[in-house]
Amino acid sequence: MSPTGIAVAVLQVVLSIASAPFLVGMMRLIRARLEGRVGAPIRQPWRDLRKLFRKERMVSTNTSIVFSLAPLVLLASAALVAGIVPFLSTTSALDQVGDLFAVVYLLLLGTVFLSLAGLDAGTAFGGMGSSREMTIAAIAEPTLLVAIFALSVSTGSSNLGAIVADTLAHPSRAASPASMLAFSALAVVTIAETGRIPVDNPSTHLELTMIHEAMILEYSGPDLALVELAAHLRLVVFLGLLANLFFPWGIATTAQPLHLVAAAGAVAVKLIVLAAVIAVIEVFIAKVRLFRVPELLAASFVLAFLAVTVSFFLV
Amino acid sequence: MIGGALALAAGAALFAIAVGAVLPVRQRVVWVGLFTALCAGAGGVAAAAVLAGGNTFTADFPDLFPLGGVRIEFDALSAIFVLATAVVAVPAAIYGIGYSARGPSSRPAQVAWPLLVWGVMMVPAAGNVTGLIAFWELMALSSFVLVLAEHHHNPEARTAAQWYASMTHLSLLTIVLALAVLAHQAGGDSFTAIRAGTDHIGPTTATVVFLLSLVGFGAKAGVAPLHVWLPRAHPEAPSHVSALMSGAMVALGVYGLIRVGWDLLGGGPTWWGATVLAVGLVSAMFGILHALISSDLKRLLAYSTTENMGLVFIGVGAAGMFASSGNQPLASVALAASMLLVVNHAAFKGLLFLGAGSILSATGTRDLDRLGGLARRMPVTAATFAVGSLAIAALPPLNGFVSEWLLLQSLVHSLPSNAAVVAVAMPVAVAVVALTGGLAAATFVKAFGTTFLALPRTVEADQAHESPRTMQIGLIALAGVCVALALAPTALAAPLQRVSLAVGGLADGRPIHTNGVYLQLSGIEAGLSPLLLATGLAVMMVAVLVVVRRGRLRRTVRDIPAWGCGRTVQTARMEYTATSFAEPLQRVFDDVLHPEIDIDVDHRTESRHYVQAIRYRMHIRDGFEHRLYLPVLSVVRRWGDGARRVQNGSIHRYLAYSLITLIVVLVVSR
Amino acid sequence: MTTTRFVQLLDLAAGLVLVTSFAVLWLRRLVTVTWVIAVQGMALAAVALVIGVYEHETELALIALMVFALRGLVLPGLILRAVRAGDEHREVESLINVPAALLAASGLTLVAYATTRDVVALSSTPQVRALPLGIAVMLIGMLLIVTRRKAVLQIMGVLMVDNGIALVMFLGTSGVPLAVELGIASDVLLAMFILQVLTARIRTKFGGTDLDQLRELRD
Repeated sequence: MSPTGIAVAVLQVVLSIASAPFLVGMMRLIRARLEGRVGAPIRQPWRDLRKLFRKERMVSTNTSIVFSLAPLVLLASAALVAGIVPFLSTTSALDQVGDLFAVVYLLLLGTVFLSLAGLDAGTAFGGMGSSREMTIAAIAEPTLLVAIFALSVSTGSSNLGAIVADTLAHPSRAASPASMLAFSALAVVTIAETGRIPVDNPSTHLELTMIHEAMILEYSGPDLALVELAAHLRLVVFLGLLANLFFPWGIATTAQPLHLVAAAGAVAVKLIVLAAVIAVIEVFIAKVRLFRVPELLAASFVLAFLAVTVSFFLV
Repeated sequence: MIGGALALAAGAALFAIAVGAVLPVRQRVVWVGLFTALCAGAGGVAAAAVLAGGNTFTADFPDLFPLGGVRIEFDALSAIFVLATAVVAVPAAIYGIGYSARGPSSRPAQVAWPLLVWGVMMVPAAGNVTGLIAFWELMALSSFVLVLAEHHHNPEARTAAQWYASMTHLSLLTIVLALAVLAHQAGGDSFTAIRAGTDHIGPTTATVVFLLSLVGFGAKAGVAPLHVWLPRAHPEAPSHVSALMSGAMVALGVYGLIRVGWDLLGGGPTWWGATVLAVGLVSAMFGILHALISSDLKRLLAYSTTENMGLVFIGVGAAGMFASSGNQPLASVALAASMLLVVNHAAFKGLLFLGAGSILSATGTRDLDRLGGLARRMPVTAATFAVGSLAIAALPPLNGFVSEWLLLQSLVHSLPSNAAVVAVAMPVAVAVVALTGGLAAATFVKAFGTTFLALPRTVEADQAHESPRTMQIGLIALAGVCVALALAPTALAAPLQRVSLAVGGLADGRPIHTNGVYLQLSGIEAGLSPLLLATGLAVMMVAVLVVVRRGRLRRTVRDIPAWGCGRTVQTARMEYTATSFAEPLQRVFDDVLHPEIDIDVDHRTESRHYVQAIRYRMHIRDGFEHRLYLPVLSVVRRWGDGARRVQNGSIHRYLAYSLITLIVVLVVSR
Repeated sequence: MTTTRFVQLLDLAAGLVLVTSFAVLWLRRLVTVTWVIAVQGMALAAVALVIGVYEHETELALIALMVFALRGLVLPGLILRAVRAGDEHREVESLINVPAALLAASGLTLVAYATTRDVVALSSTPQVRALPLGIAVMLIGMLLIVTRRKAVLQIMGVLMVDNGIALVMFLGTSGVPLAVELGIASDVLLAMFILQVLTARIRTKFGGTDLDQLRELRD
């Protein structure tokens, strides 16, 4: 574990936290423009967070320590993942600490803590949100791991650095059917795990439909700010994973500052493109019923499963 | 030293039995608990010595029984299972002091408890067929007594004991058959002789022995479809006994299967492994689905045991498949994953059962829908139960994650393989392991959330108090073991290598090697450092906290009531219950579970537009029980009715039977 | 065309044939399903075209053109007419739910791969390695016939089975003689017409093509 490696990891964490709210602001702006509204400026999410951080902490009398702990665990797990995933450089010190499986289970840890917090206040909404969130998380899990399986069959390792390096070495692999199937499977799971349409609507507060928002209904002030920031960060982490696992071009293989700057530019472009695509799709489709979500996830599972089969048999 | 420790264990067990039979209630409970802990501790020391030093310990007691002696052969495979037993038995014994004081303090129960602990520890230590069967039966009988321990105020326990007795006997019968055939064909009673004589065994005989032992040991491990006794018996036993039964006793099914199938028989064709894998897949899915919808805490834990044994079987089956398709390094990784899971499962399942016992003795109920808000009332139980829940849900940085990670790595790196069945089975296995992981997370969010968080749903839960000191010690010790296993799996690298070397037919080589704090696999480019993951999480949390504290202008915390949806008072009746929490997932898996749901709506007499009460009843049958066992049972019952006609109580008829038998015998043996 | 490019294009086109058959199981609106069937036919044509261009066989390219016209345009067009004519329910009704059907289909794909392993091991040309895809499409078509309630969907199932067979033929034998393909195509066309006429008559007579309801006629 070299000092430069640690520096790269810290840089990744800081940059992704700083950029996450801007990305969300951009998605909101694109949606607003396509729907014919003016929309808030891109920096609006940061403004909201700053305002929330300055407010008083209010905690329900029913709650236990889990309620205060959950935002911390949620943000910390997402931030740790942001350090592990090769966003800027494959030389991050955390690369050997955890592989893709560790990433998936770390993100699940955050989800579990937030669901517990949803149950903690004892309101009907919190429980409803938790129950739905765990349902989706549980049935999204097979897709995630089987897609990882598909990726590691062709590269022989589940380490993120190894997968990225392998794709860089064999660029034609990015266009193989296995890779494309795995990409579409992971894209569907990304949408489900980050609570975007058609699985969950991030801007709704309607009782019957909300999932994520129902869970965090009791949060306010700085705690809410942490939860929101963590949600933004998770979006960046998932999109960044999608971008760099399948299209790693531009990533630095060293820790030289110049390469890192170029890599930051490249990953920013990839994130903006992916986020814009999601925002545009969101305008045109409707949220599906909760009990249609398993169908969506079953379809994504089948894609991941085919990716494994194809990558094994069609090498 | 190993011999000394084993002798000490035997001595402590004998002393505990004597004390349990003689002393009056109050001292009895204390001394039995202490000596049982000593017995388990001594066994644990012996196991640790074998795992650290690697020397197999053997001892012969040739004249113990009239028909055959008992041989002790304590190798690394035995040791890992004895270690798992010690991990759960020492804290459980100490916990049992406080627990028994209010519950199962009767003489039979207190005598059976040390017997069970000793029996569970000696089964893996047995080095010949007679010894294995003797200790196996000792374990079965003493656990049967303990399942019945609380039958006075719990009629459920009697049905549970019936199921338990019949399944245990089925298990024993098949094991005796398997081992008898094996010993006869190989020409020797001791394991050494059997190993030497494996060449004389034909493939058909080997297959018969393997299948018989799969049934026998599978029934002990509680894998589907032989699990039916498990969700009945484990909840009814006293909680520290459930902890031992679920944490260590069921794992002996795995031990027996590995010992007979891959050590004594030396492994077989690929389909052996595939069969074990298939059984594991079905059990894991079945177990976790039923755990998910169960609202009885101990029943939930029991079903989760079926799930975990399923995962262990997946590992063993995968190891068998890899070994017979020639991939020995990967087989040793899969075996190491299973063995680590056995030890981990002993720690966290023991912890969870002890926690459930604390809840049961504090509130008098195991029904999740009648609990709630215990985190403030029982902080130690809550904190330790949280550790157990996170560990069993395989979340980093706790110990469950390490074994899950190893298992996934061994499955994922199986491709490309030259065996078609491996290529087909592995993607399915990964998907099932992933789905059980996700569902386990949901299950234990439900279990922890509805038990410890929010408002208490009943008066009993409201008035709960933290359990006595001895019980807390047991809980904290096991939580400590979970954390230690999580942060230092690198310490287990050498022991796991010795285990894989001990199983000749399955694996050779070195599954895990360590590189500082990193855990690395042989032949696979993959690394993990649980310690650094935990450190990373902690650093991030502290960093976030520091940044937030600095930026925040007003540091006050105001306590406010939760938002009651516009109503002024929020009551516990508005909370989500365990049943409602699991409902979406139950609907997703409707086609597998086939729930029977009744909804009765009572209207007010004045107008049918106003609802007075809604009753929701849901019942989920155990599919295997319904489709497999009940038909068999009804056939048996019909036979029984037929037999009743033969046996009508008339003494003349019985004498006539004797006469007829005599004549038949004479004619036949003419 | 270089060999790597050929392999990529072939895998892509054959993969599309398989993915479209999953999409047929997944989608609910009959009209959309018909479009997907059309895409499947076109992908099949692309497979033939790719092989034809790579191996410089004009006959295969001709077949590709014919497949495109018949399976990509004419047959889906006929089905679309049938769908539009029956104005009852526009939604797919199935005996098993969608996730179960998808999982069953992935199982069938595995079966296809496992059973053709030995054949694939015999030769390692890219065509033969993609052979299991054809078998999988065939099996999924049969699954569609078995599990769906609408007669229209059974027609689509028959078409899918035939697409699978055609894919196997293209990949396994590097093209069939034009005459054989013509014969098969005309057979399918004939079958389609007969089924069309039959469903139309059933509909006018009984007002629907739900098979479960039709079974009651027997009693």
